[in-house]
Amino acid sequence: MAEAILNLSILLILLSIGIGLIRLVKGNTVLDRVIALDLLTLVSMALIIIIAHINNRFIYIDVALVYGLLSFLGVLAVARYLEKRL
Amino acid sequence: MLLIITVILCIGIIISALLAIYLNNMISIVISAGLSGLFASVTYVMLAAPDVAMTEAAIGSGLTTLIFLYAINKTKCKDDINDY
Repeated sequence: MAEAILNLSILLILLSIGIGLIRLVKGNTVLDRVIALDLLTLVSMALIIIIAHINNRFIYIDVALVYGLLSFLGVLAVARYLEKRL
Repeated sequence: MLLIITVILCIGIIISALLAIYLNNMISIVISAGLSGLFASVTYVMLAAPDVAMTEAAIGSGLTTLIFLYAINKTKCKDDINDY
Protein backbone atom coordinates (compact mmCIF):
# COMPACT_ATOMS: atom_id res chain seq x y z
CA MET A 1 0.00 0.00 0.00
CA ALA A 2 2.75 2.43 0.92
CA GLU A 3 4.63 1.42 -2.23
CA ALA A 4 1.59 2.19 -4.35
CA ILE A 5 1.17 5.59 -2.73
CA LEU A 6 4.85 6.41 -3.35
CA ASN A 7 4.61 5.35 -6.99
CA LEU A 8 1.44 7.37 -7.48
CA SER A 9 3.00 10.45 -5.92
CA ILE A 10 6.09 10.09 -8.12
CA LEU A 11 3.87 9.84 -11.19
CA LEU A 12 1.95 12.96 -10.18
CA ILE A 13 5.20 14.85 -9.57
CA LEU A 14 6.55 13.84 -12.97
CA LEU A 15 3.28 14.95 -14.58
CA SER A 16 3.61 18.29 -12.80
CA ILE A 17 7.18 18.66 -14.09
CA GLY A 18 5.88 18.05 -17.61
CA ILE A 19 3.14 20.65 -17.25
CA GLY A 20 5.65 23.17 -15.90
CA LEU A 21 7.98 22.53 -18.82
CA ILE A 22 5.09 23.02 -21.27
CA ARG A 23 4.30 26.36 -19.62
CA LEU A 24 7.98 27.30 -19.77
CA VAL A 25 8.24 26.51 -23.48
CA LYS A 26 4.94 28.08 -24.53
CA GLY A 27 5.08 31.04 -22.14
CA ASN A 28 4.40 34.32 -23.86
CA THR A 29 5.64 36.68 -21.18
CA VAL A 30 8.45 36.64 -18.64
CA LEU A 31 5.95 36.40 -15.79
CA ASP A 32 4.71 33.00 -17.02
CA ARG A 33 8.27 31.73 -17.03
CA VAL A 34 8.92 33.08 -13.52
CA ILE A 35 5.85 31.24 -12.23
CA ALA A 36 6.99 28.09 -14.05
CA LEU A 37 10.42 28.39 -12.38
CA ASP A 38 8.81 28.70 -8.96
CA LEU A 39 6.53 25.72 -9.61
CA LEU A 40 9.40 23.55 -10.82
CA THR A 41 11.48 24.48 -7.77
CA LEU A 42 8.72 23.42 -5.36
CA VAL A 43 8.06 20.20 -7.27
CA SER A 44 11.77 19.37 -7.36
CA MET A 45 11.98 19.80 -3.58
CA ALA A 46 9.14 17.30 -3.17
CA LEU A 47 10.87 14.91 -5.57
CA ILE A 48 14.15 15.12 -3.62
CA ILE A 49 12.36 14.30 -0.37
CA ILE A 50 10.60 11.29 -1.92
CA ILE A 51 13.94 10.07 -3.31
CA ALA A 52 15.40 10.40 0.20
CA HIS A 53 12.58 8.25 1.56
CA ILE A 54 12.99 5.62 -1.16
CA ASN A 55 16.77 5.31 -0.88
CA ASN A 56 16.53 5.50 2.94
CA ARG A 57 19.21 8.20 3.13
CA PHE A 58 18.10 11.19 5.14
CA ILE A 59 21.14 13.30 4.25
CA TYR A 60 19.31 14.08 0.99
CA ILE A 61 16.79 16.18 2.90
CA ASP A 62 19.54 18.75 3.51
CA VAL A 63 19.70 19.38 -0.24
CA ALA A 64 15.98 20.14 -0.28
CA LEU A 65 16.48 22.40 2.77
CA VAL A 66 19.22 24.42 1.03
CA TYR A 67 17.08 24.61 -2.08
CA GLY A 68 14.09 25.85 -0.16
CA LEU A 69 16.21 28.52 1.50
CA LEU A 70 17.69 29.72 -1.78
CA SER A 71 14.80 29.28 -4.18
CA PHE A 72 13.11 32.58 -3.41
CA LEU A 73 16.24 34.54 -4.40
CA GLY A 74 15.80 33.96 -8.11
CA VAL A 75 12.14 34.96 -8.14
CA LEU A 76 12.92 37.95 -5.92
CA ALA A 77 15.75 39.08 -8.23
CA VAL A 78 13.54 38.85 -11.31
CA ALA A 79 10.77 40.74 -9.52
CA ARG A 80 13.14 43.51 -8.47
CA TYR A 81 14.54 43.64 -12.01
CA LEU A 82 11.07 44.02 -13.50
CA GLU A 83 10.46 46.80 -11.01
CA LYS A 84 13.55 48.45 -12.65
CA ARG A 85 15.49 49.02 -9.45
CA LEU A 86 17.64 46.01 -8.71
CA MET B 1 10.93 3.91 -11.35
CA LEU B 2 14.21 5.64 -10.47
CA LEU B 3 15.37 5.18 -14.07
CA ILE B 4 12.23 6.89 -15.35
CA ILE B 5 12.81 9.82 -12.98
CA THR B 6 16.41 10.20 -14.17
CA VAL B 7 15.42 10.07 -17.84
CA ILE B 8 12.71 12.71 -17.39
CA LEU B 9 15.10 14.97 -15.45
CA CYS B 10 17.69 14.68 -18.23
CA ILE B 11 15.00 15.55 -20.80
CA GLY B 12 14.28 18.61 -18.64
CA ILE B 13 17.97 19.59 -18.71
CA ILE B 14 18.02 19.33 -22.51
CA ILE B 15 14.80 21.34 -22.93
CA SER B 16 16.05 24.09 -20.59
CA ALA B 17 19.40 24.29 -22.38
CA LEU B 18 17.71 24.53 -25.79
CA LEU B 19 15.43 27.27 -24.45
CA ALA B 20 18.46 29.11 -23.09
CA ILE B 21 19.97 29.01 -26.57
CA TYR B 22 16.96 29.78 -28.74
CA LEU B 23 14.94 32.34 -26.78
CA ASN B 24 15.43 36.01 -27.61
CA ASN B 25 14.52 37.65 -24.31
CA MET B 26 17.27 38.26 -21.77
CA ILE B 27 15.33 37.50 -18.58
CA SER B 28 13.84 34.35 -20.09
CA ILE B 29 17.34 33.18 -21.00
CA VAL B 30 18.56 33.72 -17.42
CA ILE B 31 15.52 31.87 -16.04
CA SER B 32 16.10 28.95 -18.40
CA ALA B 33 19.77 28.72 -17.41
CA GLY B 34 18.80 28.65 -13.73
CA LEU B 35 16.24 25.94 -14.46
CA SER B 36 18.91 23.85 -16.15
CA GLY B 37 20.93 24.11 -12.94
CA LEU B 38 17.87 23.03 -10.94
CA PHE B 39 17.34 19.86 -12.98
CA ALA B 40 21.07 19.13 -12.84
CA SER B 41 20.93 19.41 -9.06
CA VAL B 42 18.08 16.90 -8.77
CA THR B 43 19.95 14.61 -11.16
CA TYR B 44 23.00 14.77 -8.88
CA VAL B 45 20.78 13.67 -5.99
CA MET B 46 19.57 10.77 -8.13
CA LEU B 47 23.20 9.82 -8.80
CA ALA B 48 23.91 9.69 -5.03
CA ALA B 49 26.03 12.85 -4.73
CA PRO B 50 24.23 15.14 -2.26
CA ASP B 51 27.17 17.46 -1.62
CA VAL B 52 27.58 18.24 -5.31
CA ALA B 53 23.83 18.78 -5.50
CA MET B 54 23.97 21.21 -2.57
CA THR B 55 26.77 23.23 -4.19
CA GLU B 56 24.93 23.27 -7.51
CA ALA B 57 21.76 24.45 -5.80
CA ALA B 58 23.58 27.25 -4.00
CA ILE B 59 25.75 28.50 -6.85
CA GLY B 60 24.24 27.31 -10.10
CA SER B 61 20.68 28.31 -9.45
CA GLY B 62 20.76 30.95 -6.75
CA LEU B 63 23.89 33.01 -7.23
CA THR B 64 24.19 32.83 -11.02
CA THR B 65 20.68 34.16 -11.62
CA LEU B 66 21.30 37.04 -9.22
CA ILE B 67 24.66 38.00 -10.75
CA PHE B 68 23.37 37.72 -14.32
CA LEU B 69 20.38 39.93 -13.57
CA TYR B 70 22.64 42.46 -11.81
CA ALA B 71 24.98 42.54 -14.82
CA ILE B 72 22.09 42.87 -17.30
CA ASN B 73 20.68 45.70 -15.23
CA LYS B 74 24.08 47.44 -15.25
CA THR B 75 24.61 47.11 -19.00
CA LYS B 76 21.08 47.79 -20.19
CA CYS B 77 20.37 50.04 -23.15
CA LYS B 78 17.23 52.09 -23.57
CA ASP B 79 15.59 49.82 -26.13
CA ASP B 80 15.03 46.68 -24.12
CA ILE B 81 13.55 48.11 -20.96
CA ASN B 82 9.98 47.11 -21.79
CA ASP B 83 10.75 43.56 -22.82
CA TYR B 84 8.30 41.69 -20.64
